[in-house]
Amino acid sequence: MPTYIVRRLFQSLIVLLIILVITFTLPYFQPQGILAPAYTALGSRANPLNVHTWAMQHGLSGSYLGRLWSYISQLVFHFNLGRSFKQGQPVTQLIALYIPRTVWLAGVALAMTVVIAIPLGIYQASKRNSVTDYVATGTAFVLYAMPSFLLCILMIDAFGFHWPHLPISPPAGVAPWGIFTDPMGFILPVVCLTMLSVAALSRFMRGAVLEVLVQDYIRTARAKGCSSRRVLFHHAFRNALGPIVTILGLSIPGLFGGALIIEDVFNYAGLGIATVNAAIYFDIPTVLGITVLVAVFTLLGNLMADLALAVINPRIRIQGAQ
Amino acid sequence: MAVGVGHDKLVPMWRQRLRIFMGNKLALTSGVYLLLLLLACFLVPIFHPTNQTNQALTFNAPWNQPPSWHHWLGTDSQGFDEMGRIFFGGEYSLTLGVLAGFITIVVGTIYGMVSGFFGGITDTLMMRLLDAFLSIPYLFLLITLITVFGRSTTFLIVIIGLTGWWGNARIIRSDALLIRHLDYAVASKSMGSNGWHVIRRHVFPNSISNIVTVATFSVADAILFLSALGFLGLGIQTPQTDWGTMLQSGTEQVQNGYWWEVFPVAIIFILVVVAINYIGDALRDAFEVRLLER
Repeated sequence: MPTYIVRRLFQSLIVLLIILVITFTLPYFQPQGILAPAYTALGSRANPLNVHTWAMQHGLSGSYLGRLWSYISQLVFHFNLGRSFKQGQPVTQLIALYIPRTVWLAGVALAMTVVIAIPLGIYQASKRNSVTDYVATGTAFVLYAMPSFLLCILMIDAFGFHWPHLPISPPAGVAPWGIFTDPMGFILPVVCLTMLSVAALSRFMRGAVLEVLVQDYIRTARAKGCSSRRVLFHHAFRNALGPIVTILGLSIPGLFGGALIIEDVFNYAGLGIATVNAAIYFDIPTVLGITVLVAVFTLLGNLMADLALAVINPRIRIQGAQ
Repeated sequence: MAVGVGHDKLVPMWRQRLRIFMGNKLALTSGVYLLLLLLACFLVPIFHPTNQTNQALTFNAPWNQPPSWHHWLGTDSQGFDEMGRIFFGGEYSLTLGVLAGFITIVVGTIYGMVSGFFGGITDTLMMRLLDAFLSIPYLFLLITLITVFGRSTTFLIVIIGLTGWWGNARIIRSDALLIRHLDYAVASKSMGSNGWHVIRRHVFPNSISNIVTVATFSVADAILFLSALGFLGLGIQTPQTDWGTMLQSGTEQVQNGYWWEVFPVAIIFILVVVAINYIGDALRDAFEVRLLER
């Protein structure tokens, strides 16, 4: 097992390197190439001389390989992600400012999702085709089928205007702990994000448990006289966890990036809004920095999902150790 | 839960499958709904044409009109007839969703099966590359690609299709990973079948239920992604439209009380995604070998 972990960690570092190269290269494909940010800052009809001066001041001149090497070495040896073109401050500072709010939003939503979706999925699978199953499946489908911005706006319309009981926006400003000045403003964004991810996850849980319930070992367990509760939680649940763990690991970038629409609608200053604003402005260092950060989170999530998969399933564990 | 236990004659497999599918009333209703909507989207504009592209003509037309005898669902904020626009936008949303979803499932299945089945260094390399793709914030990639390749319908299909298969590949790979350790796959290999044969004969048929489920979600996801792009202003360009763009402009009007610009298209949109998912569920049950008589 320890060798497996070390090997996976090493692989994760290589993946991180691939991501760095891909995201570093993407801006070169803009119609105006790597100089696009200069044109955004100076106007599309700017004097070529000014454009090149701007590019030089902001570290955009030089060969591709030279820039790539200096970016990676700065990141690895000095933990420096460069300066934002738009804000002028170090990207690491910007991220430190925005990240607590997004982690708070996505983390609470993720915890609530797991607590609601997994029991709901098991219950639906064990009572397949009952009225409860149909109602729960129908509700989950409708939520899943709704574009997230539509759900948010309808919720705002309902709880902000028709029955005005909740603030429609969390406290503004980007101070990391500013949200706690008015926790009520936090309810609508978290509830929306949770509703959306529960809808997606409980579907997979129901499917995974159903898949397991028709296996021979379940019939054997029933035949030898296990109570249906024991069959469900002891025999079925453990075998159904595999796909769910994979999905949970995969949902981490979705929660960070996917909270974007929620952040946009509720005007919640987090990483998502920062990314979109930076992308519109071609603020390459900021976009790159946030990409690297989300990538690290995702790799950690995948790593934990794979490890959990190995713990759950001995067949994979033994294969992994060899 | 065997179907038709006690029959003496063996019923052909496809008829058992058809019976399981037909037994699911929700799926049947969904199928009828989708069929009617498809016909409406592609036929109604032919038999009852409304102006949906000429902005010069709508300049003096009544904007934001409530439903009336002349405009059954009113007019939108640009003066277009709302009902005609729903069918018009539906052509784009449905075509794009099906084509892009199809690309994601074909690419995802092939990638996932090869990776999961062959294992070893192939699997490691393919999975790490996939990890890299999956870790790049999807929206940033989408925005960049759309900036580079433009927003024509073809490119939107290709871009959504070629960036949407990563999750599918991982799910299908975990299936293949399990099946290759099961006795029948091991036996087939020990008798000298090559890898491709085992994939075709054993791995693919035994994960078909998962592929079908994932495929339905993919089509629905593609339609949803297109709507998110519409919200961000990156969808189909005016005067052409899709349901996402319509919803986006409709939600701007909802606080003015212009309900007809949001709710009809929202209900049709949601029911489409729901219907596709119900059909996927029924298909999975129909493909489930273990539900058949044996």
